Amino acid sequence: MKRITTHWALAGLAILMATSTVSCGGDAGLEISDAWGRPSPSVATTGAFFVTITNNGAEDDALIGATSPACGAAELHESSMDDQGAMTMQPVAGGRIAVPAGETAVLEQGGLHVMCINKLEEFTEGARLDLTLQFEKAGDITLQVEIREP
Amino acid sequence: MTDTQETVRSSSVGRLLPIVLAITVVLALFAWLVLPRLRPHQFNGTVLQSAMPAPDFTLTSADGPVSLSDYRGKLVVLYFGYTFCPDVCPTTLSDVNKALAQLGNKAEDVQMIMVSVDPARDDPAKLAEYVQFFNPTFIGVTGTDDEVRSAATPFGIWYEAHAEEGASGYLVDHVATLNVIDREGHLKLVIGPGTGADAIAADLEYMLR
Repeated sequence: MKRITTHWALAGLAILMATSTVSCGGDAGLEISDAWGRPSPSVATTGAFFVTITNNGAEDDALIGATSPACGAAELHESSMDDQGAMTMQPVAGGRIAVPAGETAVLEQGGLHVMCINKLEEFTEGARLDLTLQFEKAGDITLQVEIREP
Repeated sequence: MTDTQETVRSSSVGRLLPIVLAITVVLALFAWLVLPRLRPHQFNGTVLQSAMPAPDFTLTSADGPVSLSDYRGKLVVLYFGYTFCPDVCPTTLSDVNKALAQLGNKAEDVQMIMVSVDPARDDPAKLAEYVQFFNPTFIGVTGTDDEVRSAATPFGIWYEAHAEEGASGYLVDHVATLNVIDREGHLKLVIGPGTGADAIAADLEYMLR
């Protein structure tokens, strides 16, 4: 009886782990988690996606682009504060976000993000939008972004 | 003999216990409720001592002209942003909304106004829909380039559009502070981006006391 319970617990854990992250097969070993975007009004032309990318593999990789059926265009951008205290937003330098082996790249509010330009779908709370991340080595990884409050 | 002594002792402890408990509860309540009020408030934003009232401006909302001076008697939270901004502006507006929710009824004495630094893309109707998504009491205003520039500069708000190779066309760099004008119309507090709802609420609550 005890052994069966343990098996069920292990199976449950495995299912949890499988559903909480999108693991990319193959050599890349990229683990993508916490993919989300903020709800935004219909009149807002743009939105932002945030995601955490962990490289569990032995090879360096980099995020080099993104596409989404929810966006007319998706670009890798970075918000930052300049030395005058002004917020500025620019496409990321070199068009790539490095994800070295064994490291984690965090796209978060006030920093790196996938900018969704000319929204084609509503960013309403609870919506799940498809997003394809393009990696230098691992290729395309498609996942769902949850629209929610942070 | 020993039994009697035990009974006496335990009954006196039994009588004292509720009193000790009551004193403990009173002391804990005092420490929790009163002590924080005796300590001066530590502002999360930067406090300014403005000798003169903040310069007035009149800009256009979807419901007609809006002047800063219309809201004398309330706190005005003045923000310069634009609807095309996907990250910092929605985060800030959402944080102000959450801060107001923490203030309860006192939020009625606070008016959030967002001035668009992108008048070419933000007309009054679009701005109204944008800001009201975050909170139905928020007001969005815009004007001609000159009107917006004249309103922004006295608050130290610098902004500039920069061309963009990608699909955005252009983006606007802007000072993304929340500028809090007190009930007498003086610019009192400047809160930097990323300060967070709890910290904003604490400062507003103190200014409303």
